Amino acid sequence: MNNSLKSSVPTDREVILGILNNSEDTLNKLYKAYYPMVLQFILNNNGDEDDAKDVYQEAIIVLYNKIKEGNFELSSKLKTYIYSVCRRIWLKKLSHNSKKAGNITDYEDVLIVEEDLEDHEGKDLQFVKMQSALDHLGEPCKTIIQDFYIHNLSMQDICEKFGYTNTDNAKTQKYKCLQRLKKIFFQP
Amino acid sequence: MPAKVKENIFSTIIIEMRNDLELDAIIEDYLLGKLNPQETEAFETLRSNDATVDHKVVSHKFFLESMEMYAAQLRLKEQLNQIHAEIDVETLASSFRPHPSKVVQLWRKHKSAIAVAASFLVLSLVSVYSIQHNSKQKEQLVLLSNQVNKAIKTQNNLIRKINNNSSSAGKPAIQNSFGGTGFAISTNGYILTNLHVINGADSLYVQNNKGESFKVKSIYTDSQNDIAILKISDKNFSHLSSIPYSIKKSTSSIGETVYTLGYPKDDAVLGEGYVSSKNGFIGDTTQYQVSIPVNPGNSGGPLLDNNGNLVGIISGKPDQTEGAAFAIKSKYILEAMRAIPQDSLGSNKLSSSTKKSLLSGLKRTKQIEKLQDYVFMIKVYN
Repeated sequence: MNNSLKSSVPTDREVILGILNNSEDTLNKLYKAYYPMVLQFILNNNGDEDDAKDVYQEAIIVLYNKIKEGNFELSSKLKTYIYSVCRRIWLKKLSHNSKKAGNITDYEDVLIVEEDLEDHEGKDLQFVKMQSALDHLGEPCKTIIQDFYIHNLSMQDICEKFGYTNTDNAKTQKYKCLQRLKKIFFQP
Repeated sequence: MPAKVKENIFSTIIIEMRNDLELDAIIEDYLLGKLNPQETEAFETLRSNDATVDHKVVSHKFFLESMEMYAAQLRLKEQLNQIHAEIDVETLASSFRPHPSKVVQLWRKHKSAIAVAASFLVLSLVSVYSIQHNSKQKEQLVLLSNQVNKAIKTQNNLIRKINNNSSSAGKPAIQNSFGGTGFAISTNGYILTNLHVINGADSLYVQNNKGESFKVKSIYTDSQNDIAILKISDKNFSHLSSIPYSIKKSTSSIGETVYTLGYPKDDAVLGEGYVSSKNGFIGDTTQYQVSIPVNPGNSGGPLLDNNGNLVGIISGKPDQTEGAAFAIKSKYILEAMRAIPQDSLGSNKLSSSTKKSLLSGLKRTKQIEKLQDYVFMIKVYN
């Protein structure tokens, strides 16, 4: 029954279940389904392709985290939700650059998404804090920590990669790095 | 002996550090559930007896959670970037962008409607009369273009002649001096102004708001955009604190409130107004037209918006329009700054507005208080 053209746009239920099950395919379909809408909105409201990418990805992250937290209630169409989040983020960016945002050209209905974005901004702050702590750490510490905690390499792998004589040495080095990172991270 | 004492202290420090590292390792294994039941029990006893250990466990738990969140977010971003790379953004974008030809099409549609209306009119009039009418229109057009030509000749540069009494007194000219305005683009004494302010100068000085003069040299000139960069070469000059304004990269909209601080007289003068046109002198796209009363001496002054973003440089005014001025757009400031050796400006230079400028959110009076240390009177002797 389904139109073959429409099969590329996942239904809202598919998206939520897919994200909860870590489906890469769903994320891929979701991303491609609504990107053109956001690109059109940004291009016609004082932005360029890069702005569209930044804003859209931020909105997808907001949606993704909200679904993962399990408190996403589908009270409207997903499309409307994504559009509203993007719109809010973009308005904020525009006013930040003291550009006039008086007459926004709209393409969709708009929801109120202030709360969701405040949540997200809090999380983003933590993200930026960790990133700047890692940037201040210096090498080889940064790479060791990233390999272990982000890329999930084993101590054995790290030992070989950095040419430590044994894993104990690598471990000691890792904990020294960790100590420094924590010190930077917890700095007020 | 003292050497041995030192050694002792040193080794205890090492032992403490070693213990610290081991404690960290145990805490992490504990939190990740890698300890066996006995070890877990032993550690929990230690934890309940020692408040410091407990505190470390709590803070490490928080840290690990933050790290986990960070890692998850990073992976998600990578994933999104991969997906993004599969999209043909260029083609999509070109289909969405507000298309100029659409505007033209609209105009054409409009025109045909007008043509229909006009032909209706023509039918109702005597044909000879309509021909006369047409030829009249042509004449008006010529007149207009003449006016434009005249306007080209009469754009005023806003340089101020400070003392030109020598010629009136009939004595041989000893010294003529002119003045303009300039503003700091780095804390170590680089100043930007208009090229026409300093053109043909024998010697150049800048004077700050406290009345102190410093000798400057011209480092870079851009005759196309009428920009010059000067460097204070005076050893009495002490570095400024960090530049309070930042460069606005995007173009300003018509109606945006802007202001400038300049030296049309010996004291700084504030001029306030708004961007009145996106293009400058007869459609010059490198400039804005602003509605600010300016006088000779304002040339080279900074044009700022309410948030302390640098919108442009005041450079001239039309002869026949009262209260209007032209300002070179801020992106040409960036271009000029890129044209000189990057390390010469030092680390504390004017940057583009990615973050808020120091002036953002302040009242105008406070903004001026901060700004006035960075705006200089340019004194030109020739």
